[in-house]
Amino acid sequence: MTDFLQLTFAGVSVGAVYALIAIGFVAIFTVSEVINLAQGEFAALGGLVAISSVASGLPLVPALVVALVSVAIVSVLMERLVIAPVRRMTTLTSIVLTLGVSTALKAALLLFYGPNAEGLTAFSAGFIDIGGVTIRAHELWILGVAAVVCAAVYWFYEKTTTGKSLRACAEQPVAARLVGISLGRASLISFLVAGVTGAIAGVLASPVTFTAWDSGLTLGLKGFVAATLGGLVSMRGAILGGVVLGVLESLTAGYIDTGLRDAVAFLLLIVVLVLRPGGVFGRHAEARV
Amino acid sequence: MALPAGPLPTRGGVLPSTGAPARRVTGWRSRRGDLIGILVLIGFLALLPFAVSGFWVNVTVYALIYSIAAIGLTLLMGLAGQVSLGHAGFFAIGAYTQAVLVTKYETGSLVASVVAVALTMTAAVLVGLPLLRLRGHYFALATLGFGIIVSVAATESDFLGATSGIFGIEKPAFNGRTYDSAGEYLLLLAPVVVIGLLLARNVVQSRIGRALGAVNDSEVAAESLGVDAYRLRLQVLVLSAAYASVAGSAFAHWLAVVNPNSANFPLSVKFLLISVLGGLGTIWGAVVGALAVEGLDEGLSRLIPNIVPGASGEVELIGFGIALTVVVIFMPGGIHQAWLAVLALGRRLRRPARGDRPEAQRPGVPGKNRGEGAEPATSVAVEEPSLAREDGPAAGTVLLEVGGLTRRFGGVVAVDDLSFTVAAGEILALIGPNGAGKTTVFNMVSGALAPTAGTVTVSGRRVEGRKPHVFARARATRTFQNLQIFSSMTVLGNVMVGRHLRSSAGLLRGALVVPALAEEQAIESSARRLVELVGLGEDVDRLAADLPFGRQRLVEVARALASEPDLLLLDEPMAGLSGSERRELARLLQRLRAGGMGVVLVEHDIDAVLALADRVAVLDDGVLIALGTPKEIRNDPAVIAAYLGVEEDDEEATELTLTEPGAEG
Repeated sequence: MTDFLQLTFAGVSVGAVYALIAIGFVAIFTVSEVINLAQGEFAALGGLVAISSVASGLPLVPALVVALVSVAIVSVLMERLVIAPVRRMTTLTSIVLTLGVSTALKAALLLFYGPNAEGLTAFSAGFIDIGGVTIRAHELWILGVAAVVCAAVYWFYEKTTTGKSLRACAEQPVAARLVGISLGRASLISFLVAGVTGAIAGVLASPVTFTAWDSGLTLGLKGFVAATLGGLVSMRGAILGGVVLGVLESLTAGYIDTGLRDAVAFLLLIVVLVLRPGGVFGRHAEARV
Repeated sequence: MALPAGPLPTRGGVLPSTGAPARRVTGWRSRRGDLIGILVLIGFLALLPFAVSGFWVNVTVYALIYSIAAIGLTLLMGLAGQVSLGHAGFFAIGAYTQAVLVTKYETGSLVASVVAVALTMTAAVLVGLPLLRLRGHYFALATLGFGIIVSVAATESDFLGATSGIFGIEKPAFNGRTYDSAGEYLLLLAPVVVIGLLLARNVVQSRIGRALGAVNDSEVAAESLGVDAYRLRLQVLVLSAAYASVAGSAFAHWLAVVNPNSANFPLSVKFLLISVLGGLGTIWGAVVGALAVEGLDEGLSRLIPNIVPGASGEVELIGFGIALTVVVIFMPGGIHQAWLAVLALGRRLRRPARGDRPEAQRPGVPGKNRGEGAEPATSVAVEEPSLAREDGPAAGTVLLEVGGLTRRFGGVVAVDDLSFTVAAGEILALIGPNGAGKTTVFNMVSGALAPTAGTVTVSGRRVEGRKPHVFARARATRTFQNLQIFSSMTVLGNVMVGRHLRSSAGLLRGALVVPALAEEQAIESSARRLVELVGLGEDVDRLAADLPFGRQRLVEVARALASEPDLLLLDEPMAGLSGSERRELARLLQRLRAGGMGVVLVEHDIDAVLALADRVAVLDDGVLIALGTPKEIRNDPAVIAAYLGVEEDDEEATELTLTEPGAEG
């Protein structure tokens, strides 16, 4: 039982990271039907910038701010330079474009930060013991920050005018334009949201899983799987999906085989897509002719 | 939630095929072009070892190996509209199988590569079977996951040599000759590449290629003509995996080592870059792209460490990424697009000298002069034969039976408990005010939309909730109110897709060309006849998207007729046609009815409907409010009320208005 709790808790904290990345996928996809393959690189970039800032002598909190701002700038630049100029965005175009950005970013990270994986200093060192379950103090930070970010995202989309206009773009692009909402601006904001949440995911994960130039690939893929569990259109579904994926991975690694950890996401993806293409936690989308 | 792209939203689109409208015309020009291309390629490869240093010959060997995989990927992306981000996974399965068989079981290289291809194709079936049912995003990301899995599996497996992989793979030897230098290996690779190119080119121009091109333009229309998009996509995926496997086998022998790197994501990116840079509009893009990308790779690997001291590892990826992005934004057709632009420039420079126009060869009325009196009045004489299909159903046989058909969108009931039948040799008109649910009925009957409840039976086969190609297989098809023309094809090409179910050449026959030759000619000649029949004779080789809307509707009608349906659903076929064109079409429908076809007609031209139909079904707010002969309908008070919203006793006004065409708007 203790094992189970231990594994579950570890899974939830990793899952919280996936959830944050998944939020980025959903934010962009709902506005422009683009799957942003650079989403994982946002996280890797955030982690590496924070690590190098700390290494250059900056205290942790300013370093985190630097990381967030850098990723936000990159995500906004990406939208303006790469996404906005394309007039007719097909599935294939969007995949190839964001893959291009992702690949270039990855290689840029390799050039600037070298090939080695490093970990950011934990926000709080040490361990906490609750009834035999050992928890890293940093994992509590992960959960706390992730909860705050999720709440903020929820507030943004449900309560603010800007957030509501983004949802309007997602649901009725033509009607949204008729009432004066700019799709270009909505797309820009969605990339900003994705950049910030991605960066937060990156800095949160770094002390636990370490960050390297190519960490973004698996992080991005897992975030995508989490988002898919929510049908790619539901924030709540994406968050829940992230946690479920994290826990399943952790249990699989603990009870079956560590090597299978990375296979879980893929298998889950296939099972979900075959059984419930609309997502497990999401609403069903209708295709119309 | 789609981008406001074009008026015709299609799923799983391809990169815009810029400036290549005649892509699918199997004319001698394209054949001559391919022949010249192959001769140039062979000449290039033959002269290369004498012209450049061994280093560059070596680079060319890699380029050729990768080009084989990229040919497959170009087929997958350009033809099936699906992106694979894990093509290195298939490549690695091929490479590892080759390595294991050759080093551990002393199998001959040729046999080993055949086994490898079979294994890789099996893997592709397993990956594609669940995932190709879904939208393109999912397939792309899932293949990415597949690549990672293959790489992880190779790393974890001791049998496959874990991280160090399998080494000591000898160079292949045939007839006592060992192909061990780069120059020699080129000799071995060149025929493989040329054959691979030829087969792929043939597939693109075959019946299957045509059907997939149609799917990319409008999936629902292609399916309504009997194209099983899912099945064809799966076939192309499996074929493209086979190409990747062959490349993997060649790679294993050349490098002598296979390790988990061969399944790596960067390699998948490289394949993708090759295809995109070369251009998805042509198979040749794969070969040209491979040479360009390998050159880029070598150049960057030398250049970057000079700029950034201490740079190591896969730094050339930065160039790959930037190249991908720049190409898609500025030159979505890749090098192929640039090449076409050069050709077009050359033609423009030459044209004034020659002065002949290809369009001028066909005598007839020029495109625009098609007014009321312009068309030959004798084109459809009364005594012309009825358009009957041999051994079609006897007149009066019930073709379509709709029972309790219901569709709800959220809380709205769009169609409510609708039942009707259509018999062979009858025209049933379905009319009703805008928003009455007519098109929804069509969508449910034809399989474009699953009903919430109810049954649809076509010639004794239950088809409700099945995909449109199932409907088409029951010898039934439809046209669309919001035109679903195959915009990248000519009028003839559109109609040829309609012959899909009346022909049978699959991938293999298509790839070998000759076995499918007679069938292709038959398809083309019958398509030409149908184009003439609907009066589009002089537009036959024009791009269908260039025609006025009304005539695009006629293309849809011809396309539907090409599938020789027993049951034909026409959604507002007369909208946008001139008065004389409407009369022509009405006469055509009468001939089809005389030939035993059952027709369901949604039309706003009430006059035409009442003159043409045997029975009329009136839909209002999703409910069938009347079903009877035109005469009965004309006098039905419920119908009058629904249409005009007037009191039921105000008969004078309604009588008048119902005879006015288009009164209902």
